[in-house]
Amino acid sequence: MDAFLHQFRVSLNLHFRNRMALIYSYLFPTIFLIAFWVLYRYDRVPLARHMGELLTVTALGGACFGLPTTMVSERERGVWRRYRLAPVRTGTLLASTVAARYVLLVLAGLLQVVLAMAIGMPLPNHPLDLWIAFTFVAFALLGLGLVIATLADNVPAVQALGQCIFLPMLIIGGVAVQLSSLPDWAQHVSAFFPGRYAVEAMQTAVTGQGLRVMGFSLLALLLIGLAGFVAGIRLFRWDAEQRFAQRSGKGWVAMALVAWAAVGLLAESRGRIGPIEIVPEYATPLSPPRTTIAAATSSSSSSVPSSTTTTVPPEPPAPEPPASAPPAPPPSTASSLRSTSTVPVKPSTEKEPKPKPAPEPATPSTSGPPPLLAEPTSWRAVTPAHIDEIVFPRLPSDSGVVSPIARLDEPIDPEVETDLEEVRTRLATWGPGQVADPVQRVRNVLYVAAVPDVFQVPLERYVPHVVFERLQADIPKDDLIKVLYWVATHPNGGDDSAVDDLRSAGLKVNGPSDIDQTRERVMLYALKLLGRLVGKIPQ
Amino acid sequence: MSAKVVVRDLRKHYDGVEAARGVSFDIEDGEIFGLIGPNGAGKTTTLECVIGLREPDSGSIEVCGIDARKRPLDVKQRIGAALQTTSLQDKITPREALTLFASFYREHAPAAELLDRFGLTSKADAHFDTLSGGQRQRLALALAFVNRPELVFLDEPTSALDAQSRRDLHAEILRMKADGHTVLLTTHYIGEAEALCDRVAVINKGTIVAGGATRELMGRSSALPTVFVVATSLLEPAALASIAGASDWFCEGRTARFHTTDTNRTIAQLVEILSARRIEITELHVQKASLEDVFLELTSPDATPPDPQ
Repeated sequence: MDAFLHQFRVSLNLHFRNRMALIYSYLFPTIFLIAFWVLYRYDRVPLARHMGELLTVTALGGACFGLPTTMVSERERGVWRRYRLAPVRTGTLLASTVAARYVLLVLAGLLQVVLAMAIGMPLPNHPLDLWIAFTFVAFALLGLGLVIATLADNVPAVQALGQCIFLPMLIIGGVAVQLSSLPDWAQHVSAFFPGRYAVEAMQTAVTGQGLRVMGFSLLALLLIGLAGFVAGIRLFRWDAEQRFAQRSGKGWVAMALVAWAAVGLLAESRGRIGPIEIVPEYATPLSPPRTTIAAATSSSSSSVPSSTTTTVPPEPPAPEPPASAPPAPPPSTASSLRSTSTVPVKPSTEKEPKPKPAPEPATPSTSGPPPLLAEPTSWRAVTPAHIDEIVFPRLPSDSGVVSPIARLDEPIDPEVETDLEEVRTRLATWGPGQVADPVQRVRNVLYVAAVPDVFQVPLERYVPHVVFERLQADIPKDDLIKVLYWVATHPNGGDDSAVDDLRSAGLKVNGPSDIDQTRERVMLYALKLLGRLVGKIPQ
Repeated sequence: MSAKVVVRDLRKHYDGVEAARGVSFDIEDGEIFGLIGPNGAGKTTTLECVIGLREPDSGSIEVCGIDARKRPLDVKQRIGAALQTTSLQDKITPREALTLFASFYREHAPAAELLDRFGLTSKADAHFDTLSGGQRQRLALALAFVNRPELVFLDEPTSALDAQSRRDLHAEILRMKADGHTVLLTTHYIGEAEALCDRVAVINKGTIVAGGATRELMGRSSALPTVFVVATSLLEPAALASIAGASDWFCEGRTARFHTTDTNRTIAQLVEILSARRIEITELHVQKASLEDVFLELTSPDATPPDPQ
């Protein structure tokens, strides 16, 4: 035990004295975190839906590169050979080395979570479960790291082997690219990699229901980890002169791989190939954990609801309050938007994580800072002060991928111009654009801009201008300002059947089956057009 | 004296080479035993088998009365070893290394005591990558002593050291003996073995070709004593050629060197001849057969293996 503790402490000390190790362990994961944040900056709750991925990348780096690089470089230098002269058991040295690395992984993971929380992510739903899941992930990946350390004869070989595992896991293993974005064959392949189980287990703890639904993932990680550790210990080499190719017992490596195969086959047999459903559980004490449409992101552009990692049962669309109706109680969506969505309403209180149900009598949120203004009770009650709360510069760039809008002086392809003219003509008489309720009418017309954006068709950058013209021609400016505000702050409201009638509006596509994303784009276009109307965004 | 190490018929081969071919030797309690031989002779392989770094193909090894092949951890508790090169992590300090290694043993010396003994106190908290070669070697020795060993194995400990560090290490090895430690030393510096070892075994091509007390081994040499002379004036080879028993002359300027079969007679005649010519001798040395002579005789390619006894 004395030897274990001393070696454990020395391993930690040496790690913190090694500048390169610190860069790999802490700076790189932070860069990954920033990259994810930039990539998914329009998420309703920053980074929350990607913590599983981020933490897995961190654990993969520390376990599959950090551990074997340290072990192999020490072996190459003869440090382990010197250890062998002492009466200390292999198991003791390996256990203390792996335990120290586990602590380093936990620290790196903790740093990720704290940084993510600093930029808006709420506390994970189940912090203890997250730690348990992370421990299983670390166990599986450290086992893998041990195998790499035994296979690699030198440090460059560690990098080569590590990349052979790291990159496929990142790209088709469900780690950096969400399963929902992968083709079917890749989803099947990913079932054989530990990465996806790592992501699932930890994501479930962050945004889902925690341990009670992560059993299979934990089992998979346990099996893979056990096989890795057994193989790693059996093949352990003290001396750099003991080349792997010259060693007997290579079958142990096969055993480690068999565990991966067994896990994959088990997943296949249980039909656990597609992404699992992780129900967001940002429940408020005052409202039941009914989930609403999750804010789509620029990256989670899948049009298949069943393959989104945060699939939730959609609420039936609620009718818009008629313009003439008496003022309704403030829809909770409004407060949710002002306090939780990525709509740039100031003060920005995105830390408040609770997606609210679709329009219904409001239940005031008890958490998060109170909004500066009382929310309007109907679109007619919207005031310039409400508009002033919007921070327009935080909207996605017009030249970006999400909700793009062409510059007015931008040259247009003749073919696209023909299609655009077709839309302009048909939109003037398009049924859903003629409905009596101005809010629903504006929402319907905005679908005409939103759906091409979701599908990223060539027309997408130009249609918003046509839509804007149509709306300005149809609705008085003062009313349009209020209605656009209302639509933007109630992205889940109203009827969305118009998305199935877009062909009659001159588009060559109808609405995607992922209505969540479409509604998000409606919200963004509503804000962008609103900004133009009130002079906050240049034309 | 009882034997601290008994090795019998040790065999080890790897990569198609038989590095040890039936090596046998004993090391007595309290002596410095040298295992000498040219590079690649099998010294390190033999030593690594004895200290448990390599698993021999066959043979028996008994250390401090313990079967080293069956109870290697028990043996390691009682021995210390410094390898040819000891490399530790770049950022570990001597104090940390000594404390860490001490934790591996049931009985151990305090780090401060070892730092002091091996002259490392001023570098106790310096990172390993800032230590000089000599300091690293002293740290390796300190690590070998961390468990107060009965028996110390030193594998070519001076091979990478400068002259001063080598001299310091020789003094330290002699101190080990004075303190009652038994030492096994492998080296290819014959002078080192001659200066330090009570007994040596000469190993060549994986086999012990000679063994015994250092002086006794030198006495077995067929090499003749060598006479070196330096004079105040030029030496004439023709005048010196008449000296009885002298052979293999080398004469240049005021210096001459030759072998002799009769040292006393040769020296007397040499003095007589030079005195007659009023030439003064400024230096005169007689070198008996050295361990190096023995070593070269035993390890030259055309050498016939003598009886190791």
